[in-house]
Amino acid sequence: MSDVDADAGAEHPDVAAQAAATVDEPELDRGIVEGWAARMISNPERAYRAAFYVATVFFLVTTLFPFYWLFMVAITPRGSLRDVGVFTPGGVNLAAFIEIFQRIPFHRYMFNSFLIATVATVTVLIVASLAGYVFGRLRFRGRNLLLLGVLVTSFFPPAAFFIPLNRLFNANVDVLRPILSAGSLYNTPFAIFIPLSAIYLPLSIFILMTFYSQIPDGLEDAARVEGTTRIGALFRVIVPLSAPGVATAGVLTFITVYNEYFFSSLMTNGRPGNWAPMLEGILRYQGQFEVLFNLMAAASIVAVLPVAILVVVAQEKIVSGLTAGGLKE
Amino acid sequence: MASVTLDNITKRYEDTVAVNDMNLEIRDGEFLTLVGPSGCGKSTTMETVAGLTIPTEGSVHIGDREVTDLPPKDRGISMVFQNIALFPHMDVYDNISFGLRLRKYDQTEIEERVERAADVVQLEGMMDRMPEEMSGGQRQRVAIARAIVREPEVFLMDEPLANLDAELRVHMRTQLQRLHRELDTTIVYVTHDQAQAMTMSDRVAVIDGGALQQVAPPLTCYNEPDNLFVAGFIGSPAMNFMEGAATDDGFESRYVDVPFDPAENGIEPDQSLTVGVRPEDVYLERDQELAAEPSRTYDAIVDVLEPMGDEMFVYLLLDEDVEASAEGRGAGQLLVSLDPDTVIGEGEEIEVVFDRSNIHVFDSDTGEAITHRLR
Repeated sequence: MSDVDADAGAEHPDVAAQAAATVDEPELDRGIVEGWAARMISNPERAYRAAFYVATVFFLVTTLFPFYWLFMVAITPRGSLRDVGVFTPGGVNLAAFIEIFQRIPFHRYMFNSFLIATVATVTVLIVASLAGYVFGRLRFRGRNLLLLGVLVTSFFPPAAFFIPLNRLFNANVDVLRPILSAGSLYNTPFAIFIPLSAIYLPLSIFILMTFYSQIPDGLEDAARVEGTTRIGALFRVIVPLSAPGVATAGVLTFITVYNEYFFSSLMTNGRPGNWAPMLEGILRYQGQFEVLFNLMAAASIVAVLPVAILVVVAQEKIVSGLTAGGLKE
Repeated sequence: MASVTLDNITKRYEDTVAVNDMNLEIRDGEFLTLVGPSGCGKSTTMETVAGLTIPTEGSVHIGDREVTDLPPKDRGISMVFQNIALFPHMDVYDNISFGLRLRKYDQTEIEERVERAADVVQLEGMMDRMPEEMSGGQRQRVAIARAIVREPEVFLMDEPLANLDAELRVHMRTQLQRLHRELDTTIVYVTHDQAQAMTMSDRVAVIDGGALQQVAPPLTCYNEPDNLFVAGFIGSPAMNFMEGAATDDGFESRYVDVPFDPAENGIEPDQSLTVGVRPEDVYLERDQELAAEPSRTYDAIVDVLEPMGDEMFVYLLLDEDVEASAEGRGAGQLLVSLDPDTVIGEGEEIEVVFDRSNIHVFDSDTGEAITHRLR
């Protein structure tokens, strides 16, 4: 005990701080904590830095530890799943990452999700850009009312839409018969990305509206005088200058749609050929008599990769989009 | 090259009228300046020509074409903006060639034209710079190159020099005049700075309260202002005004009376008048031979001297009991512009004369000018 105290006494910066404080104010005899607090008060930067590191470490552990654990479960052979510890795997068997594709066409499930998310993102970005332009840059009667309407729809729980939509998409519509085999949207990607795009649209509209409204009028005027239409000015000048906002809205939409389970599982019958999503695939490793936790974990890690890559690529834009927002002229 | 004609243009926003029944013809190849105080409607007027604002009433013609409802891109105009408005995500070449690329010109022609335009504004070797890496003056030159590269029929310039520092502004002023000579294109120029309006324009259109006050060559606006507003707005420092009324034998106000024959000048007795004298048309009594037509003398006390180098502004009080107002332009005060070498001291009692050939008389009620030269 006394050893520890002596060590700490020799090296601990707080004691050094106390010593410094003593030099400054010799009449005060402060304890370690008091000295530390005094140091923080006289130099708030230090407190902020400490708080920053604590918060960062907490955040990193809570977000990254599940991945670490998934990885450990994934590389543990099926028979040794009971041996998985808190920090150690129960064995090493990287074959799980191959087996996931052999047991079921997991790549098809991923492709389904990827395609649906991509189409939904593109649709949302185009529609939200037009809406964001109108709400952000034009003044017209009823603007606030419409905006409120958009806001209100985004407050509905998506589950409230499910039953009517399911009935609608299961109905056989004669006009659709030539395009879709059954004449209904059930078991098609349309049944998934149409409601999902609609549900995630308001958020993107709000993000893009904020960005577009900050582009100086002069730039749009200049583009129009130079030869674009209003829509041309939007896509040639306003959108490129709002790249951080567009990237943010796009990535948020992509991730939410890619991860979406509720609609995508209920709008298909779960078969990969019928556009069942990635999550449906992961659940397929769960049989009647056994649950292949190692394969589910491996599939989960593989499924995260596209999003991880997307975020890394778009990271710079997203960060500036979430923090700054806007453009100095 | 084309003329621009505004017929009965009115622009109304919800409860304000920005432009009121404006009729203006801008001649082919002319440099016309719209000048007026902030919020007078000059920018709105220009925007109706550009097509960025659709007038509530009236029509706009460019050349023989009616363009009132055409979008800006189909009007054959180009514009330089007050905030310069270069596209920040494009380099200089892309900025200048933007309009040409949109109009699908072929590559070699675009390159040739961009090079020529860059040459006119001396931007060689800066083609791959981004706007943020350039100084204010360079950006302004890029904006001008972007405007001239399409060889439009009409150039619109909305306060293009307002965001530049004073030295650069004077430099760009001469550049623009040279540009106008070289291009020989119709230029419509908006500014609130009467110095720019005076120095560059073929004609000046003075606007106030959304209405046209006078359209005339700069010197005509200066020497023969149509009304009190133009008289006060054009010229720096502004004209001295004295409010009073006509009598049987001239003008009478509290501090100054000017004898003349009312009938000969088209003035009725008892009409309320405002007499205006420019600071440079006031002379010291001892220098009165410099005035073309010296008036009677007036006693004054020197209040403040402002030597400017090339001239000297002298603030006078016309009576001992006059209280000097902060701006030095109140009733009973007179601003005089004298030769900088004049020997004069603050507090000195002096006598001054006006040049009768440059005394402006206005009707106080309507503001209209009655005469610019007393007979």
